[in-house]
Amino acid sequence: MIEGIWIGINTAFSGYNIFMVMMGCFAGTIIGMLPGLGPMSAIALMIPITYGFDPASAMILMAGVYYGAIFGGSTSSILINAPGVAGTVSTSFDGYPMAKRGQAGKALAIAAYSSFSGGTIAAIFLLIAAPQLAKVSLSFQSADYFALMCVGLLSIAAFASKGQFLKAMVMTALGLALATVGQDSLSDITRFAFGNINLMDGISFVLLVMATFAMSEAFMIVFKKMEINFKASDASIDKLGSIKLSKEEVKEMVPVIGRTSVLGFLVGVLPGAGATIASFLAWGFERSIANVKDKLKFGNGSIKGLTAPETANNAACTGSFVPLLTLGIPGSGTTAVMLGALLSFGVQPGPRLYVEQPEIFWAVIVSMYIGNVVLLILNLPLIPYIARILAIPKNILVPLVLFFSVTGVYLISFNSFDIYFMAIVAFISLVLRTLNYPMPPLILGFILGGMLEKNLRRALLINDGSFSFLWERPISLALFILMILIVLLQIYQGIKKRKIK
Amino acid sequence: MGISYTRISALIFLLLFVIYSYLAGEIKVFVFDENADFNARTFPKLISYLGIIVSFLTLVLSRGADDPLGKYEWLKVLVLFVLVFTYGIIIKLVGFFISTNLFLLVSYYYLGVRNYKVLLLCSIPVVAALQFMLHGLLDVYIRDPFLQLLGIIS
Repeated sequence: MIEGIWIGINTAFSGYNIFMVMMGCFAGTIIGMLPGLGPMSAIALMIPITYGFDPASAMILMAGVYYGAIFGGSTSSILINAPGVAGTVSTSFDGYPMAKRGQAGKALAIAAYSSFSGGTIAAIFLLIAAPQLAKVSLSFQSADYFALMCVGLLSIAAFASKGQFLKAMVMTALGLALATVGQDSLSDITRFAFGNINLMDGISFVLLVMATFAMSEAFMIVFKKMEINFKASDASIDKLGSIKLSKEEVKEMVPVIGRTSVLGFLVGVLPGAGATIASFLAWGFERSIANVKDKLKFGNGSIKGLTAPETANNAACTGSFVPLLTLGIPGSGTTAVMLGALLSFGVQPGPRLYVEQPEIFWAVIVSMYIGNVVLLILNLPLIPYIARILAIPKNILVPLVLFFSVTGVYLISFNSFDIYFMAIVAFISLVLRTLNYPMPPLILGFILGGMLEKNLRRALLINDGSFSFLWERPISLALFILMILIVLLQIYQGIKKRKIK
Repeated sequence: MGISYTRISALIFLLLFVIYSYLAGEIKVFVFDENADFNARTFPKLISYLGIIVSFLTLVLSRGADDPLGKYEWLKVLVLFVLVFTYGIIIKLVGFFISTNLFLLVSYYYLGVRNYKVLLLCSIPVVAALQFMLHGLLDVYIRDPFLQLLGIIS
């Protein structure tokens, strides 16, 4: 393990990779700040650029983009009450009232320090937890992997769907169905290609991600007439106010950071939960344990109310790397996109990753420390300048996002069919999103589809075609029970919601 | 049971998964694989059952009206959709540089940008910089007859 960490440090601290972290944090902050464009779009836009890179550098860049986007999302939450990222919605509860009081600089500083602390503490947990979990997961067999992926798909549908469990399950099934287009990996039989040569290799993962996130987000900005009322002059140092914190304010933040970084990390590790749930839980938790006087401040510019979600969402981002790096199963939509990127590099994340390719495993973890420092020392002083990005008018922004999306996909295949197909998928996903069909389950279903089929095939062949493996192996049984519990919980919540109505 | 957009979409999904299920049964597998415990049809069949169940439940259990869809900017999105489509056609014909600049200029203009300085500054330098980064720095080949004609790229 020590040797692995040393390799990771050497890889992460190379001049090239430090540059990657800086670029990732910077690009992520800018993209995450733009309302509508979240970390998934940001990472999707990075994929085509990383094709020429080695996998470790690409992952370092994407990880930087991920937490940069979360940080950028909090900036737009605080300044214009328009979160660029779902995980920073609860940041606006207390951040925006502070900005309205003329303390925007202070609110941004609190967000930066909290994000830094949450990310750094969670990276220590990741350093300890990931190898342990990787060791445990070596005992996993195909049946357990199949059950685990089903839990992942069910839980992302349950937790990331904002109460639309059935719609999320429809999207999961659609994602799985799309994954079956093209050649079957074992028999090489072509399925659902309808004689179209462009579909014989299957649907490109980058195309699907770009279309459902980046391009449909750009369409959505026009479709819903989103207006951003922010002028470049609003980001001047005079208007933002001081970024210095007093001793009392720091004292108020420290215990909150301690509690919510643990909470955020644990929620991030759970499949499907992620930064959004972590930030809401942290805000709610801190409010519930606050005394009566402090409780009244929540929602009106409370320092604790701003610190809690900001710490938790960054800790959850780090936590979500645990299932990705150790089990090869993404815990969130964003890490699903990263998994797709890793697979396209020919890297199979999972329990063997930290033994076989320690430079990727450890370099990503080590780079998180660098990334958090970069976010603090690069972004905080630059906030007045970076925030001017919010003043970009949408009639400039939309064509640029469309252009980057199209170029990203075209440069991989040089095939015009991909552009037509992408435009159609983006349009359909725009309509589906308007009808509240969530997209992350579709992406997760698409990415896990191939692995799910492979593991189910192995499990069924070993078990003479019987599904009894689901209750015969203890790990599978535990996961199977968990699946039933998730479904029952959704049914219970559905009934409860109807009764209230 | 009233009609809502959610119900219509659920019905479409239900039909899609029924068709998918039929097509899954039609996948040609090797003769020796016909009665195997797992063949190329098995997984798509299982997905189709899941899809049929969940879309049927969405159809039956969804309640309440959706937001009216007419209030959104359908026309603008459709025009952008056509522009992206056209971009896909002309990129093969005239190459990356001209097609991308045309796409950006027309899109900006359509979305209301009238200042010609903004129009030019937000298109030509952006495309040139990206093309230089990809072609010059990252060694990604981009076919461009126009720039080849000018002798800028080989």
